[in-house]
Amino acid sequence: MIQIQNLIKAYNKEIVLNIPELTIEKGEIFGLVGNNGAGKTTLFNIILDLIVASKGSVTSNGINVRESEDWKDFTGAFIDETFLIGYLTAEEYFAFIAGLRKMSKVQTADFLDGFTDFFNGEILGKKKFLRDFSKGNQKKAGIVAALMGKPEIVVFDEPFANLDPSSQYKLRKLIKDFAAQHGTTFLISDHTLENIADVSTRLIILEKGKIVRDVPKTETTLQEIEAFFKPVVETDLF
Amino acid sequence: MNRNLFSLAWRETIRSAYWGKSLATSLGLGFLALYFSANFLFLGIFIPKILAEEFPNIDPVSKFNSILLGYFAIDLLVRQLMQKLPTVSFRPLLVQNVRRPQISHYLMLRSLLSFFNVLPFFLLVPVTVSMVANAHSGFEIFSWFLSVVILIFSNHFLAIYLKWRFNDAEYQFFILLAAFAGLFALNHFGIVDFSGALGKLLDLILVSPAIAFPLILLPVLLYMLNFRFLIGRMFLNMITTKQKEEKIRDYSWLDRLGETGRFIALELKLIWRNKRPRSIATMAIVFLSYGLLIYKDTNGHEPPEFLFILGGIILVGMFSISYGQFFPAWHSNYFSMLMCQRLKMKQFLRSFYMLVTVISVTSYFLTLPYALIYPKVIYTHLAMLLYNLGINVPVIFFIGLYSKKRLELNQSSVMNYQGVGASQWLAALPMMLGPIGLFYIVKLAFGTTAGYIGLGLVGFIGILCHSFIIEFFSKQYRKQKHQLIANYKNS
Repeated sequence: MIQIQNLIKAYNKEIVLNIPELTIEKGEIFGLVGNNGAGKTTLFNIILDLIVASKGSVTSNGINVRESEDWKDFTGAFIDETFLIGYLTAEEYFAFIAGLRKMSKVQTADFLDGFTDFFNGEILGKKKFLRDFSKGNQKKAGIVAALMGKPEIVVFDEPFANLDPSSQYKLRKLIKDFAAQHGTTFLISDHTLENIADVSTRLIILEKGKIVRDVPKTETTLQEIEAFFKPVVETDLF
Repeated sequence: MNRNLFSLAWRETIRSAYWGKSLATSLGLGFLALYFSANFLFLGIFIPKILAEEFPNIDPVSKFNSILLGYFAIDLLVRQLMQKLPTVSFRPLLVQNVRRPQISHYLMLRSLLSFFNVLPFFLLVPVTVSMVANAHSGFEIFSWFLSVVILIFSNHFLAIYLKWRFNDAEYQFFILLAAFAGLFALNHFGIVDFSGALGKLLDLILVSPAIAFPLILLPVLLYMLNFRFLIGRMFLNMITTKQKEEKIRDYSWLDRLGETGRFIALELKLIWRNKRPRSIATMAIVFLSYGLLIYKDTNGHEPPEFLFILGGIILVGMFSISYGQFFPAWHSNYFSMLMCQRLKMKQFLRSFYMLVTVISVTSYFLTLPYALIYPKVIYTHLAMLLYNLGINVPVIFFIGLYSKKRLELNQSSVMNYQGVGASQWLAALPMMLGPIGLFYIVKLAFGTTAGYIGLGLVGFIGILCHSFIIEFFSKQYRKQKHQLIANYKNS
C-alpha cells in the first residue's frame, strides 16, 4: 500500500529522518511510537506531501506522492487542530469536507449517524464554532472528518492525546472496527503505549529518525515496548 | 514594582512592538511614529502664531486652554481604537508567587509604556516654552504644565478603563462615539460650555497655581477605579472569549453554484465570523464615502486626474486590495488540511476571483451617485473597475505566492501588524501607483480620454484572459505549496 525508499529528511545537514526501506501493507494498522523529536510527525507530513523529503520517495498505492495528487482521493488525515477550520460549526465543517470528498447530504448524515456514541452528544447540534470547542472535542471532529469518504489510507498523529478516558476506549474500538469493515490501512502515532499496542497490528519504534524496532503485534508487545522506553537505571529523582 | 516584573514589562515592549516584526513593518511603523511626532512638534511650534493671527482679540494661552478639551476627546477615541491593553500578559503570572494587587499594578504601569503617552509632549513642550512662558512666571508655568500632564495621564487611565470595560465588544465603541457626538453638539451649540469650563480652570491655574494640586486626585481616582476593576476580574475568563451561542447564518444556498460556490461560502463565513477580515470589510464600506472628500466641488475647478484614478481604486477596489493583500494567508491556519484534500487550486483561486468581482461591481454601482458631482466618474470608475479585475487581481495572486506569515483571524485590523511582512507593504504600491503611472504615460501620448480608455482596455484584456491567468497561477501555487506550508508553520 505504501512503499518508502531511501527516505532522508535533513534540516541544515542535521538528519531528522532516515528510513532506507519500509513497506506498509493494505489493511495494516501501523503504530508508530517514539520520543519527542523522533521524526513521527515528519514522516507523516512527508507521506501527506506537506513537506518535501531531502532524498528518497514515498509511493502510495503506486502513486509517487511528489509527482501526482491522485493519492488524495483515497487518503484521509488528521495531524493536529490546524486541520480544522475554526470559524465553522462542526456540521458546516463536515459538510465542507463531504463536498470535497464527493459525498451527498444523505450519505453524510448516514455516515455521521455511525458516530453518535463517539460524539457523546458534544459535537453535533451545538451552536458553537470549532475554535470554541474543547481540545478533546476538536480532536473528535477532526478524526471523524478524516474518515469521511471511506479512505483507503488514514493518517492520525496522536489521536488519543487530549481525549477523555472513555473516548480513548471508544476510539480504539472505532479504529479496529473501521479497519475490519473497510480494509482501511491506518497510520497512527501516539505516546500512550497501551493505546497504540492495543489498536496496532504492527508496531514500529522510531528513535532519532531511525527505525529501531519493527514487530508484528503479539501478546508481549506491550511489555517489550514499555521496556524499551523505561530508563535503564531507575534512580530516585527527588 | 518588583524588579523581575519590570524587566518582564521591558522585554514585552521591546520584543512585541518592535523587534518581533519584519524589517519593512518596523520601518513603516517607525516612519509613522516619526511623522506624527514631527507633525505634533511643528504644530506645537506654530500654534502660538496661528492663535495670535486667527483670534487677535483673545489671549492665545486662554484660547489654547479652551480647545484642549477637544484634543482630549479625540485622544480618548483614538486610544480606544489603537492603544493595546496588556491584558494577555497577566496569564502566566496568575499561578506564580505574585500577589494579585501586584499584578494589577504591574498591568497598569505596563500600560503607561505607550506611544500615545509620549506624543502629546512633542506639542506641549514647545507650546509651554514659546507661548506660556512669555506671559507667566516660573511657578505658574510649572503648575500649568503639571496640570496638563495630569490630564494626559488621566485620559490614559480613563481610556484603558473604558477599553477594559468594553472588552472587545465592537458595538460599544460606537455607543461611545454617539455619546461624544452628543456632547460635542451640546458644546458646539452653546447649550453647555464644557470646553470653556476646562479652559477657565486652566486659566485660573495660571493665576493662582495652588488650584492645580487637587487635580492630582483625578488620575489617582481613575487609577483606583482600574485597580478595583482588575482585582475583581483577574481570572482567565477575562481574556478568553465568552462562551455564548453564536448566531449561525445558513450559506447552503451557495451550494447551487457548485464547487466554486462552496469556497465562496467559506470566504463569506471567514469574513463574517472573524474580527480581522470583518473589520477590513467594514472599512471598505466606510471608504465608499471617501468620494465626498475627493470629489468635492471646489468652485468650478475639477480636481487633477490622478485624484479620479486614486478615487476609482479606493472606491471600487478598496476591498480587493485590502483583503487581497493577505491572500492566501486568510486560510493559513488550516492550509495544510486544504492541501491534503482533493481540492483543485483552480477553484480556490476562482472563488476568490468571483468574490472580488461581485464586490467590485457592486461598489461600482454604489459609487455611481458621485456622477452627480462629476459626470466623468461614470467612465473613470468603469476604467478602474476593469483595471482592478484585469490587472490588480493577478497582481494579488502573484504577491500571494510569496505570502510569508500566518494570520491571526480574531484580532481587529486597526493598527494590527500581526502577519504583515514586506510583501504587504510592497503590494499596495503597484496596485495604487501602477494605474496612475500607466494613465499618465498614455495621456502624454494620446490625451486624457485615451488615458482612461487605455486603463480600461488593459483591464479588459486581463479579464478576457482570466481563465488562462487562473490556470497559470494554480500551477504556480502548486509548486509553491510546501514553501507556503513551511512559512505558515514557522511564523
